Amino acid sequence: MFHCEVIDNSKEKITIQKAKKFIESQKCGASLYFLGTVRDHNNDKTVTGITYDSHDVMVKKSFKEIYEDAINKLKLEHPTAFVEHAKGYVPLGGISVIIAVACKHRAQVYEFSRFIIEEIKKKTPIWKKEHYLGEETTWLEGKPIDINKA
Amino acid sequence: MKIKLELFGVCREFSDQDYLNFNFDSEIKIKDLRKKVESLVNKKFPENKNFLEMVKKSAFSSQNNEIVNDDFKLDKNQTISIIPPIGGG
Repeated sequence: MFHCEVIDNSKEKITIQKAKKFIESQKCGASLYFLGTVRDHNNDKTVTGITYDSHDVMVKKSFKEIYEDAINKLKLEHPTAFVEHAKGYVPLGGISVIIAVACKHRAQVYEFSRFIIEEIKKKTPIWKKEHYLGEETTWLEGKPIDINKA
Repeated sequence: MKIKLELFGVCREFSDQDYLNFNFDSEIKIKDLRKKVESLVNKKFPENKNFLEMVKKSAFSSQNNEIVNDDFKLDKNQTISIIPPIGGG
């Protein structure tokens, strides 16, 4: 089972409760919740928030491909994943991404969750503009998409 | 032929709108469009070498939302996207 969405932070918020409802299953003995949150510093600057930009259609397509890759590569039993990423302004401490996964056994959920976040970093078209205390906002440099692996 | 280029990430700084419009007399490849964007950025932001670097490092996606290479042909009016280096999570 799989759910993914891009959440416009000005209209709604990412919540653990929604993820919990989706991944709960009596077939699974393990579940794991990963949250990405906005931290207060980066590159020696005081961060006050991050604006996320997203190519929504490609982001959802990328999430689905990553989920399918994980199933093929990790040989998971009863895999369930709930992935949501924020777009728009997220203040300090706010949730930017949630990856909630469930599987039959505990070892699989750690692998599953780690696989998803690392692949998002490499493949999913999302961008960050950081806001600082007393300094101009900056788009973070990011990593070029590998055209051959996209 | 009209190409509408949707802007994302740092490339949003290239225009007050969310896109750039280009006109071409005949069929082109992505590499030709990339050169056009580089030329526009050079003219508009001559001091900002980072913008030019970002265009060079960008990928492009087709109207079907597939990442395409520099030899991909554009032969009719369409909307595509520029995908600068990414950094979600």
